[in-house]
Amino acid sequence: MSVILKTEKLRVEYASRESRSGTKVALNGLDLEVRAGEVFGYLGPNGAGKTTTMNVLLGFVHATGGEARLFGVDVREPIARQRIGYLPELTYYYKFLTAEELLRFYARIFGIPRGEADRRIDSLLKLVELEHARSRPIKTYSKGMQQRVGLAQALINNPDLLILDEPTSGLDPLGRMKVREIIQRLKSEGKTVFFSSHELGEAESVCDRVAIICQGELKAVGKVSDLVAQYQCDLEKLFLKLIGYQPQGVS
Amino acid sequence: MNNVLAISGIVIKELYRRKDFYVLFVLTALITLLLGSVSFFNDAKIARYLKEVCLLLIWISSLVIAISTTARQIPAERENRTIFPLLAKPVTRGQFIMGKFLGCWLACGVALVVFYLFFGVVSESRGRGDSSAAGLSATAAATDASSKTDEHDHAAAGSEHHNEHETPETTGQRSVVLNYVQALWLHWMMLGVVTAMVLLGSVVLSAPSVSITISFIGIIGILLLGEHLNKVALRQPQPLQAIIYTGYFLIPHLEWFDIRDRVIYDQPAIAFGDCGLATLYAIVYTGLFLFLTWFVFRRKTLTL
Amino acid sequence: MRRASPYLVLGLLLTICFAVATTIQPRTRAWSDRAKSGDVLKMLLGDGRRMFANHFFEQADVSFHSGYYPSIFDRREQPGKTAMASGKDEHDEHDEAAHEKEMAFRGQPRDWIEAFGRHFRVTEHTHLAHGQEREILPWLRISAELDPQRVDTYTVAAYWLREKLGKIKEAEEFLREGQRNNPDSCEILFELGRLYRDGRHDPQRARNVWELALRKWNAQESGKAEPNYFQLEKIAVHLARLEEEAGRFSRAISLLELGKKSSPNPDALQKQVDEIKEKMRARESAPQAPAY
Ligand SMILES: Nc1ncnc2c1ncn2[C@@H]1O[C@H](COP(=O)(O)OP(=O)(O)OP(=O)(O)O)[C@@H](O)[C@H]1O
Ligand SMILES: [Mg+2]
Repeated sequence: MSVILKTEKLRVEYASRESRSGTKVALNGLDLEVRAGEVFGYLGPNGAGKTTTMNVLLGFVHATGGEARLFGVDVREPIARQRIGYLPELTYYYKFLTAEELLRFYARIFGIPRGEADRRIDSLLKLVELEHARSRPIKTYSKGMQQRVGLAQALINNPDLLILDEPTSGLDPLGRMKVREIIQRLKSEGKTVFFSSHELGEAESVCDRVAIICQGELKAVGKVSDLVAQYQCDLEKLFLKLIGYQPQGVS
Repeated sequence: MNNVLAISGIVIKELYRRKDFYVLFVLTALITLLLGSVSFFNDAKIARYLKEVCLLLIWISSLVIAISTTARQIPAERENRTIFPLLAKPVTRGQFIMGKFLGCWLACGVALVVFYLFFGVVSESRGRGDSSAAGLSATAAATDASSKTDEHDHAAAGSEHHNEHETPETTGQRSVVLNYVQALWLHWMMLGVVTAMVLLGSVVLSAPSVSITISFIGIIGILLLGEHLNKVALRQPQPLQAIIYTGYFLIPHLEWFDIRDRVIYDQPAIAFGDCGLATLYAIVYTGLFLFLTWFVFRRKTLTL
Repeated sequence: MRRASPYLVLGLLLTICFAVATTIQPRTRAWSDRAKSGDVLKMLLGDGRRMFANHFFEQADVSFHSGYYPSIFDRREQPGKTAMASGKDEHDEHDEAAHEKEMAFRGQPRDWIEAFGRHFRVTEHTHLAHGQEREILPWLRISAELDPQRVDTYTVAAYWLREKLGKIKEAEEFLREGQRNNPDSCEILFELGRLYRDGRHDPQRARNVWELALRKWNAQESGKAEPNYFQLEKIAVHLARLEEEAGRFSRAISLLELGKKSSPNPDALQKQVDEIKEKMRARESAPQAPAY
């Protein structure tokens, strides 16, 4: 299986006034490999560096050291982003546009011909169940609806790799279930999904493999079943253990 | 290019869905019409004060539109995080900047066309013949003027007679239209420089209110003082003189593009060569500012 | 009760506001005389409006030059008299030359930026003519609105209205307005007299007005350390001509003598006096000739 997402010794430092060195290390020598066709769960506590990793992959943040590649292309090349779909952590879109206009705009950026774009927009709006609201400005949407617009725009170019930053946050149980279904469907279509989450149950149910990071460092990576077997406890205990949480607590 | 156009389309869409432009246009129209309805000494032929006020309002409005929309573009994209899904697409930062610039500039162009059409209507509704080249008109006034007819009045009446045989009248008319078109064109070119400058400001200073204020002061300053800086410099002691002189040669001379006086006072149109050179000058400065914007924005870390 | 209470509070606040306003309002009148005047402009701008008035007066002059006008950076010294104002007096070669010199403010361009920039400016020194002088009027009107005590606004506007635009009635109205605002101004009275003489062809009223102007001048200026003799001469000479035409030669002579005292050019006046004396002698030798 080919590797389509790869980071090597990835290091990111943010300028920060708090620490004495003036920088804050958000990622520290991160090595990741995501293979074609798998659903990869990216787990970690708040502030672990999940979003930062994705920002590097998408070129928003430039790595201080190491490198990151998508489809074998350095992430600094815009062409690396031709075949990916991205759902940001917090979804905000041009509020004055309608969902349909927004999708059409993104379709245009991917150079999708008009007829094809119309077809895709129809099917995507149906997929995320926003057909009834397609010609309303996005500012009138609820949070869950906005999240689903985000999902639709991430799929507009029929991407081979999906990078989803907490795709289920802010959704009700039904919505989460739908997202899981979508992820599974994408997998069955042969797509690769790289998503971050705090929901361990969710990860357990949909992921082929997971990675757990904490404070910018990779703690564990592998199949959920392998990890559970290796550490002899369930995923939640494992997670807490890896991030250094002691139930007894030393105060 | 497709990406650039798509992004500029969004900018324009935003501008016409927000209502700022309409407010400014209605305000300009209202003030102009209000002033137009005032009768000064029962003379309906007085036109230039109206042109003056109307053009002044148009200039102010256009600067307000250009600066306030442009300065908001990139900070708003970052603040609303709309920039993330956009740049996650195969869009380079250069295209993003160009798209923003083009959108703002085209929007300004559209606004200017509307404003100048309004201006054309206003000034043509006042003293029709009056707006043709200075000496040609006058006439009707001269006849209903004082009872004593001196040689000047004769001459004027004579020229009126001449006008009816079409040629000078039509050339006068054409030069008026040409004047308007040149004014519009140069105004638009100037707004190109302004837009690029403000875009640079909005990337360097991330708070929109700061960049709006600084841009306003800078641009108004250039428009009012730019052409006099060399004279100011001469009166200064040495180190300051050199600094002001350098500034004088570095700043974009936006005041060239302000040919309101030539329009108001019915001066002959500017030579096309000069117009072209000015356009070239504007393009060079626009390009320079866009390049600088790109240069700053190129490696900027995009997180909140 | 709970639902009504916000409205009750609102009502209470409004009542308090009203009460406070009514108690304070009479006092504010004493604070500043701005509030006293009913004039909106005066209230908004205070004494700043004089500055604006000046700006608009200048704008009229800019207009008179079709935009060819020195900026504050071009002026070597404060220009004494605007061209449109000096245009109203008899054209004087010397004045004209001085004006041309003053308006040749551009000179050689200092650098290519300045040289190129001139293509976009008005670079010819012209004055409005052929009825286009009307374009300066709105600015004068606004200037008068802002500063009603500025006398030359009225006289300049009246001059152009009367002389070039034939709008005698409007000129008179405007001068009358000026006179209401400046009841003691000799200038306005003088201009009014010219209007009666030249515009209305009513020398009798012109004479009355000028006589009044003379009296006002005497009342105001003669006591001063540096009386405005220029004004006196103008009035006196004009009135003298009127009296001469009416045949009241002795009065004309005494007026010319008065003017001579303050004239920069007393010899010319002396010549006029001599001419009138000549006429007097001629009339005495033929007393039956009609006087007027
Ligand atoms: N622009 C920034 N400047 C300074 N520090 C930053 C910046 N962005 C993120 N960080 C820091 O980098 C670390 C990683 O942040 P990141 O957003 O990647 O966490 P995360 O794993 O996505 O957390 P969450 O689960 O809460 O979304 C955090 O400690 C955060 O404070
Ligand atoms: Mg995150």
